[in-house]
Amino acid sequence: MTLTSPNPVDIAAIERELTQLWKEAAEPGTTNHAVTRALTLNLVAVAPDSFSANRMTEVVMGLTRTHPNRTILVTANPAGPESRMEAWVQANCQLVAPGAPQVCGEQVSIEASGASVAQVPSLVLSLLVPELPVVLWWPGHSPFESPLFQRAQSLVDRVIVDSADFAHPERDLRRMAELNQSSTYVMSDLNWARLTLWRELVAQFFDSRGLLPHLFRLDKVVIDYERDPRQPANRAQALLLAGWLASRLGWTPLDNSVSLEGDLVRIHMRRPAPTVGPQAMRLVTIELHPAPVVEDSMDSLAAVRLSATDGVQASFVVERTDDPACARTKADLAGMTPIARIVRATQREETDLLATELRLLSRDRTFDETLRMAGVFARGM
Amino acid sequence: MTDTAILDNPLRAGLRLGRAPEPCTMVIFGATGDLTSRKLVPALYNLAREHRLPAGFSVVGFARRDWSDDYFRQELLDGINANSRSGAADPALWESFAQGISYHRSDFTNPEGYASLAERLNQIDEQRGTGGNRVFYLATPPDSYHDIIQNLGTHGLNHAPGNGWTRIIVEKPFGHDLESARALNQQLLSVFSEDQIYRIDHYLGKETVQNILVFRFGNGIFEPIWSRRYVDHVQITVAESIGVEDRGGYYDHSGATRDMIQNHLMQLLSLVAMEPPVAYDANAVRDEKVKVMRAIQPIAPEQLDNCTVRGQYTAGSVAGKPVQGYHSEKGVTPDSHTETYVALKLAIESWRWAGVPFYLRTGKCLPRRVSEIAVQFKAAPLMLFANGPTSDIEANALSIKIQPDEGITLKFNSKVPGQASQIRPVTMDFRYGTSFGVASPEAYERLLLDCLVGDGTLFTRRDEVETSWALLTPLLQAWQAGQGQPPQPYEAGTWGPHAADELLARDGRAWRRL
Repeated sequence: MTLTSPNPVDIAAIERELTQLWKEAAEPGTTNHAVTRALTLNLVAVAPDSFSANRMTEVVMGLTRTHPNRTILVTANPAGPESRMEAWVQANCQLVAPGAPQVCGEQVSIEASGASVAQVPSLVLSLLVPELPVVLWWPGHSPFESPLFQRAQSLVDRVIVDSADFAHPERDLRRMAELNQSSTYVMSDLNWARLTLWRELVAQFFDSRGLLPHLFRLDKVVIDYERDPRQPANRAQALLLAGWLASRLGWTPLDNSVSLEGDLVRIHMRRPAPTVGPQAMRLVTIELHPAPVVEDSMDSLAAVRLSATDGVQASFVVERTDDPACARTKADLAGMTPIARIVRATQREETDLLATELRLLSRDRTFDETLRMAGVFARGM
Repeated sequence: MTDTAILDNPLRAGLRLGRAPEPCTMVIFGATGDLTSRKLVPALYNLAREHRLPAGFSVVGFARRDWSDDYFRQELLDGINANSRSGAADPALWESFAQGISYHRSDFTNPEGYASLAERLNQIDEQRGTGGNRVFYLATPPDSYHDIIQNLGTHGLNHAPGNGWTRIIVEKPFGHDLESARALNQQLLSVFSEDQIYRIDHYLGKETVQNILVFRFGNGIFEPIWSRRYVDHVQITVAESIGVEDRGGYYDHSGATRDMIQNHLMQLLSLVAMEPPVAYDANAVRDEKVKVMRAIQPIAPEQLDNCTVRGQYTAGSVAGKPVQGYHSEKGVTPDSHTETYVALKLAIESWRWAGVPFYLRTGKCLPRRVSEIAVQFKAAPLMLFANGPTSDIEANALSIKIQPDEGITLKFNSKVPGQASQIRPVTMDFRYGTSFGVASPEAYERLLLDCLVGDGTLFTRRDEVETSWALLTPLLQAWQAGQGQPPQPYEAGTWGPHAADELLARDGRAWRRL
């Protein structure tokens, strides 16, 4: 349910309008349920256009269930012909259980165009609820070069982007890795959150005492990524998965480690070989292979295959099945019965991905190390 | 769990799903029973569905009936479809999960059945990579425990081959008095070591129960007032609205004290009253729980009528439905003296709790199903407000609701808006459902996963069980010998016998209206 102010409100009086809105909501007869205003964070959401702004409002509504917040939704069009700024206020309410009070957050939507865009950061600053964390959510193309982002980044505790939407994934991933090392805020990528299940399933192979030693013998990794021929390739998710494996396992890129053959990417690395000797190294190759796009799949990866070919043959595969809501895992070791199973692999809603990121209170060190490695790979592409 | 592979798996660092067990096989004794299809397998299926179980995880059902693998799987599938919190099973997932399920037909007393079980487990290790890791689940009536434990020992199934681990989960009732609990412990410990034994009390798997420790020791403001200085008394209620249903024969030999107080209520009491543990690990937490249980003053025979009340329900109606009296229930002897309600007043002899009574009550056929712990604070020492009530201003109360609406409520006094200084109690509410917006896992999911990863914190240790029985056994014996008032009748659908109200009224207190 939403309660919206019908007309744009006076920019100077947004707080007053919000108070008025809550007063009206509390009056008998306005709604069938009691309302509870609850704010756990400031969410500054920047929409690339008004179509996205509507979609993002939906996501924010869903988020109210777990993270009721004050959302400041900004739609900025600096190239717009006239200098203009308008704002609306609304309450976002969710009925959590029948008979229980509705939990509500609130939203200020700001539309700015032309020269007025420069005023947006100061307006946002004045609207932040004190003593609550500030999260900047910026879906769509990478924000890093935007003047608005550069002004806003000093205000925020966390920046959430989605590298699946980057227009220049390699360049932007590199930039994100650089910023993440120097910034005071915490960087999150929803595309990384989508990898959680892939990581879990890969990790589970090696929870078994018998299979763990083979993790340190891997010499080849193949990641199949979806490649839509009508659009520029986005390998961000595949690079993050590769970066995760390499950083967890202590693999180091060779000089000129990355080679491209059309859509196929090869990354050459060195790994420690502790069974051979303390200083011993072996080669590892990570390949990113293009695969057809599948509708309704959970993300842009189709398979990851890990193998050890030197000595005892071992392979570990996680791949999507014909049913896009399922994945198959298979561990195959020479001389043993292969162990395969089907697991649930459903698409995660953006609300859910966002909620997962918001639940993290501190830096995700694993992500930091992954991103640094993915940035190194991206530099060579 | 210092010796498991999980810790050495570098891919585990920073993974968000949290704990994951090593591949293993769970052998369920009494697998054709209700518990398996209603609770255990739906819990395992949901764990698998949420990617908490490794590939290769296997289940072997061990029971007497002449069932085939396929028939067993179908029964389990029906059980999931009827009882799982995630609804009907997904066909593809189930098919994959069911590949690891098999049925092993044997009598619990037949040694050959265990010899062939050992072979079967070795085969599974080879075929499904379970690495010799085993969990035995005793889901049988307790009279079979002896044979199963003995046979597991005789056939070397108490220790896994290679580097694997072996654990055993034991369901309640854990003995029916101190002597039988000791005997069971001794038998278990002659075959398994204490760190292999997981005595399950599903109350400890409930989210709010686990939250008691976080609430007390994860916040700075509650612990300083958690003592005799500020607390007037504590009430622990576990009320059931159902009667004995089809368990009359069992219940008539057990009663509310054995069935509920010895395990669930004593667990709740120890969590609320314990001192801060030195660490949040299995033994540190359980050390403190035992310590506080040991500090409970035993009820002397001459105190029976001052500190205990028993009741037995008579015909009445619960929630608008007629209910027959306990004596008319199937399996109950017509002149039975078994209590279906019990209220106790306990004193904890410690620096923290001296002089603070703990009132416990539990019963069947009460008006509502509700479990809560209420910490009643002392009232403000002085009434300042002219228009407020002069003597009976309500004291603050903190209630921890365990079911059905899990949450925590703090009651305090507030001024009623207006010109006059009127005072009225209001509440601050925290509810799991509204604050987190996620469904809590079933108690069995949490506990099974804990056992699979080797975390015994939420399981009952030998000394906890025995301390609890040591406290209650003299009471049960005195009642058995005809001492104290016999169980007082109470009409089904009421809050127990009048004498239970008297128990608190004598101290100038009253049960909370729930």
